[in-house]
Amino acid sequence: MKDLYFPVMAEITGVKQLSPMEKLFEITLPGGVDLEHDPGQFVELSLFGVGEAPFSVSSSPTRKGTFELGIRNVGMLTDVLHRMEAGEKVGIRGPFGSGFNVDDFKGKDVMIVAGGIGLVPVRSLINYVLDNRDDFGRLIILYGSKTDKDLLFTDELQQWTDDPKVEYHVTVDSGSDDWTGNTGVITTMIPGLDLDLENTKCVIVGPPIMYRFVLLSLNSKGMPEENIYMSLERRMKCGVGKCGHCQINSSYVCQDGPVYHYPDLADLQEAL
Amino acid sequence: MTRFLLTEDKVITFIEHLQKQKNVFAPHKRGTNSFAFEQVSDPASVMLDYTRTLHSVKKYFMPPREQLLSFSLTDNSFAEPTVDPVDAIFLGVHSYDLQAVFKLDHNFSEGNPEKNYLKRREGALFVGVTFAPDQWHFSGSVGINPNDADGFDVFLFAVENGYAVEAFTPAGESLLSGFEMSEFNSDIPAAADFNQHIYVPQGKLSEVFDNAWDNEVWEETSKECVGCGTCNMVCPTCYCFNVEDGVDVTATVGQRERHWDACMTRDFSEVAGGEVFREELAARQRHRVYRKFKYISDKTGQPWCVGCGRCTASCSAKISIVNIVNKLVQDHEQATVAPV
Amino acid sequence: MANKPRVAIFDFTGCEGCELNKLNFENELLDILAHVDIVEWREAMDDRVDEYDIAFVEGSLSTPDCIERIHEVRRKCKVLVSLGSCATLGGINAMKNIQPIEEVREEGYGEDKYLFPTLPALPLSAVVKVDYEVRGCPMTQIEFLKLFTALVRGQEPVKPDYAVCVECKLKENECVYEKGMICLGPVTVAGCDAHCPSFGQYCTGCRGLVTDANIAGMEEILVKHGLSVDEARKRLQLYNVNQLEGVQR
Ligand code: SF4
Ligand code: SF4
Ligand code: SF4
Ligand code: FES
Repeated sequence: MKDLYFPVMAEITGVKQLSPMEKLFEITLPGGVDLEHDPGQFVELSLFGVGEAPFSVSSSPTRKGTFELGIRNVGMLTDVLHRMEAGEKVGIRGPFGSGFNVDDFKGKDVMIVAGGIGLVPVRSLINYVLDNRDDFGRLIILYGSKTDKDLLFTDELQQWTDDPKVEYHVTVDSGSDDWTGNTGVITTMIPGLDLDLENTKCVIVGPPIMYRFVLLSLNSKGMPEENIYMSLERRMKCGVGKCGHCQINSSYVCQDGPVYHYPDLADLQEAL
Repeated sequence: MTRFLLTEDKVITFIEHLQKQKNVFAPHKRGTNSFAFEQVSDPASVMLDYTRTLHSVKKYFMPPREQLLSFSLTDNSFAEPTVDPVDAIFLGVHSYDLQAVFKLDHNFSEGNPEKNYLKRREGALFVGVTFAPDQWHFSGSVGINPNDADGFDVFLFAVENGYAVEAFTPAGESLLSGFEMSEFNSDIPAAADFNQHIYVPQGKLSEVFDNAWDNEVWEETSKECVGCGTCNMVCPTCYCFNVEDGVDVTATVGQRERHWDACMTRDFSEVAGGEVFREELAARQRHRVYRKFKYISDKTGQPWCVGCGRCTASCSAKISIVNIVNKLVQDHEQATVAPV
Repeated sequence: MANKPRVAIFDFTGCEGCELNKLNFENELLDILAHVDIVEWREAMDDRVDEYDIAFVEGSLSTPDCIERIHEVRRKCKVLVSLGSCATLGGINAMKNIQPIEEVREEGYGEDKYLFPTLPALPLSAVVKVDYEVRGCPMTQIEFLKLFTALVRGQEPVKPDYAVCVECKLKENECVYEKGMICLGPVTVAGCDAHCPSFGQYCTGCRGLVTDANIAGMEEILVKHGLSVDEARKRLQLYNVNQLEGVQR
């Protein structure tokens, strides 16, 4: 029987500052083997003597040899991690959970609504679509951030802006003086979109408070519920369906989620 | 199967007979008014007539604190702990506690089977004993009776002046072999009645809980409940845990430890950054009770509460899971029967 | 921290039980000392220094002089840790916050009461920013060791925010309520490994209350177990009067 709780020791092979609070860590497993994850899945990262915490994989499985974790400095573990450098070792368990079933998305338009750090997990899907561009229809990305200084993956944002095959829209709650883009909450960008509703798969990822508003707005737009997917955050401790910390009603987020098909959330009163 | 008579005066030699075969764990007195399972060293101190133990035998298969791995900070490496089968005889187990073990077996083997639990669980033999329901037991309401020998290797049915002993498995038979007893040919007296019941109509459990989400009972109990987590910690079917790293003062070595955790506490659902997903005590109580009667039950067809009464007996506010469920049943019946 | 952290230890109005307590670590004390330079310690050393990395402070603030001193400590240290109930909660000292101040002066100083201005007993956090706390009366040794090890390694310590009952049950103690005692474990922050109940004693609440404690519920439990409403209130106030009466923490 496999031990559920032993990590493999992986190496940090790159660190990049994404924003004042976020860093992107490139991780390489022993022997450079692939993580073999689906977009939307997560790993448990552990630092001995500090603990273990769940992080969504931020890179697409199409990019081989290493994977990336975009990590905001919000707690004890992330604080230590943020002081670590390339060459240092971390423990990895996973990948865990259910990610996006990309086959369901093939041939469809894909619309992403990402708020704040929600861009991190969904970037895996975005890059997957970009790497298999012909398998999908339109790629529409709505991205909302507190301020323009908090925008993540700025060089990729620029690429999306420049790519004629990506419809990228960004807004910030409050912009600094040199911000020339949209200001306002993310939902303000939805009414103006011209969408082929039946043929669009919509993915929402963001802070808990964002979901309700985005759902309302999609609803009044006429987006069918079965075309909506979302990724939820909970306290995933064991990642293997045992510790109980991640439960939403009867659902274990670490097993059934973090990615949920919206119609499946109807029975889960604690979800949103 | 043949039953044998174990008279009261032979109990100690019987325990000694068991001790010759494997380690024996049995209820002992703990503190002034409580009982706890402990390894038997002096058979005379075993208490076969007891209400309930503080913890169930769960503690041997999933210890309250348990090392998951040990690590060295000097070279950032870790070592596996040794996990050995408990391989012992559990004497004097009440029927509800064995049923609880079977429920945990399910939880730790479905999905991702867990080595630690399943390994420890190997070789455990159970010798049951009749219990006399006190004011908190209600296992009869979930189909578990004081004389229920289901799953036991050996059962000691309480009879006048001692026990009628019956083996139910080959392992049980070999536990008894070599111990002189006369045959017992009378009937086993009916076990005593329960003093409280939950009145869930047959097969309706799930339906009751479908309609219980917004019941006022959650808000009402949350006025008296202080979220101490005791009800979780004593429950034989609770198995949630937390994991923490501890570092030695020398700051060179340490261990990753898991310990039982309680969903009634606020920080159980707190994520880094401070968001608490079950902030209200009412929501936490509801989660606990749904865990016992709906979430797992919908998948397995069984209640996940075994009616041991520990949660209520140990609660300093005496919040009664029986009263909560009965209120839900009552409101459900009223809602479904009453004319619109 | 590459160099050994420079540590200073101060004592304010407490009973000095905490410092003595610290000296009881025996072997562990030696391990600890290997990791730091103690640069100021009121009981052990006398050379005053101007800067330190970590200041451990015990005792509550109850005179204007204390307040001045704590500001000075805060200026000189990088990390400020409060030790024990007095420093983190105001401690038993804070009971005087709900008695008329004249009465307190009378009791404390008798005839000389007007020579000593006295303030309500405040936790350090009411006056300066406190980075970490070691709770308990006397302060909880295991928590001190954990915090210390974390700080030496340049990390944040884990702070439990669940009740003492959880730790008490992990040890399978018989609940003292079973013996007819009453206990504040259900609303008191864990971290002491249920020290008192493990010795058959009730929990006095010396480690402070869990976040969002249900005080009304706890009072009801106490009343159900035989205390009058007034006694229940007093029992809860013993260490937690500042938290209960909304004095800033
Ligand atoms: S034991 Fe009682 S007071 Fe404590 S959490 Fe459970 S129901 Fe609430
Ligand atoms: S919920 Fe209460 S009565 Fe049911 S098994 Fe758990 S402790 Fe026993
Ligand atoms: S003795 Fe106190 S801390 Fe321990 S379980 Fe009872 S109430 Fe809780
Ligand atoms: S993270 Fe432990 S059960 Fe899901």
